[in-house]
Amino acid sequence: MSGGEPVLRASGVAVARAGVEVVRGVDLDLRPGEVVVVIGPNGAGKSTLLAALAGLLPVARGTIERSGRVAAALQAPALANRTARANVEAALQWWGVPRRARGDRALAALQAIGARGLADRPSRALSGGEARRVHLARALALQADALLLDEPFAGLDAPARAELLYDAASALRDERRAALVVVHDRAEAWALADRVVVLLDGAVAADGPAAEVFGVPPTPAVAEFVGFAGRLEEPGRLRLLRPQDVAIDDDGPLRARVTRLVPVEDGVRVELALDHGRLVALAAAPGPQPGAEVGVRLLGGVTFPR
Amino acid sequence: MGFIWDGIKQAADLLVHGDHDILVVVGTTLRVALLSTLIALAIGLPLGLALGLGRFRGRRAGLALANAGMGLPPVVVGLVAALLLFRGAPLGGLNMLYTLNGVIAAQTLLALPIVAALTAAAVQSLPAGLLEQARAFGASRAQVAVLALREARVGVLAATIAAMGSALAEVGAVVLVGGNIENETQTLASAVLVRVSAGEYGRAIALGTILLGLILVLAAGLTLAQQHERRALLGRPS
Repeated sequence: MSGGEPVLRASGVAVARAGVEVVRGVDLDLRPGEVVVVIGPNGAGKSTLLAALAGLLPVARGTIERSGRVAAALQAPALANRTARANVEAALQWWGVPRRARGDRALAALQAIGARGLADRPSRALSGGEARRVHLARALALQADALLLDEPFAGLDAPARAELLYDAASALRDERRAALVVVHDRAEAWALADRVVVLLDGAVAADGPAAEVFGVPPTPAVAEFVGFAGRLEEPGRLRLLRPQDVAIDDDGPLRARVTRLVPVEDGVRVELALDHGRLVALAAAPGPQPGAEVGVRLLGGVTFPR
Repeated sequence: MGFIWDGIKQAADLLVHGDHDILVVVGTTLRVALLSTLIALAIGLPLGLALGLGRFRGRRAGLALANAGMGLPPVVVGLVAALLLFRGAPLGGLNMLYTLNGVIAAQTLLALPIVAALTAAAVQSLPAGLLEQARAFGASRAQVAVLALREARVGVLAATIAAMGSALAEVGAVVLVGGNIENETQTLASAVLVRVSAGEYGRAIALGTILLGLILVLAAGLTLAQQHERRALLGRPS
């Protein structure tokens, strides 16, 4: 999966924007062959961290060591008013690739991300999804030692996003390259990540494989962010649960009152109030009536001592 | 109205018969306009880029100065330039008073703030992230500058058109610095002034008509280039 010395190592990195520290003491390693996903709520400092790792923002404290060349694809595709191919070739020129090698590498990169057919289209004539594809192609074309991508799927409709996500997941796999991708959706993290880093309030709150970070989050704050919406105050401990950890079952040991129903793709999302907390469960439509008393059985969850 | 018609006919006559004096004045006018615009571009484009995109102390003051400079009264610029160029004055050693080079320098001074201010405005209106992205892909400062000018080329051409227009039409600085010497430092605009003072309205209108035609041809050429670029930018077949 990954090996060798880190291409990029951040130690105690703090970054200020307009005098306010929005990234505070981040430690992070990126190794060749590994895809690290950074996820966090809006304003957590994800983009600021990425810009600092890329060398576009100065660090207020800490150090960033780079043992290879780092390229960053920022969130806005920001293509120049030229054809898709010319945009990729321009990026190669900035990167220092000799002119005669640019044409083939540009086409190969467009091909790799499924955008070969867009090569001769002016950027103005590209849809949002196509522009994102070309943006990704020019980042991949550089063959940087470390590639940083800031929300490469932002602003796309669901089908376009899914398609680009799966194409990106395979295109990003490269033994020689380290990749760091900022996302704001767990599905994107699952599809891409060898390692997930959760950034909360400018600091790393979790760092590990997706199954670990999303399944056994290390702190209540991380658990709440990654979808543990239920919260029960048990004697001596706090228990946090995902919807799939909760079953509505009239024979269940707990009693709860239905406070709200929200239709979702596979049924209804049921919000429940208990004496010692609240829960969220999934049920088959139409589900129980709001205000009804139901039985509840707990199937999992994580606990934290109090 | 007869005056004007006669003047226009006279202008056509002068041009058709290749009147030597007229050709000299047209040549001088073009030389002044083209050279001063070129020099103003050479200095003003980097200056406009710095004022528009740079991060340094005094950037905003410089921008305000460039914007104010677009309204510089040519007569005042001419007066100050002439005073500086007088024999014995600080720049008297340059021997540029009453020379074509002096005229070109004064016109460059007038065109410079136009180029700088309009270029700064054009590069500032580029989409956010375009230039930062280039830096993130390893672009050098020079490459970022080229990208900015290229992407802002419609605005940069507008700056060129405005600078060229001012260089063609000005008289104040031409007369004060160049002395309005026939066959040497006289341009179409300053020649009109002389003819009017001498009461030769027909000749004045003829010269004025030629000047208007020249401005029209140059502006039209630049506008065509500009709109060609704009069409290319919009991604329609051009």
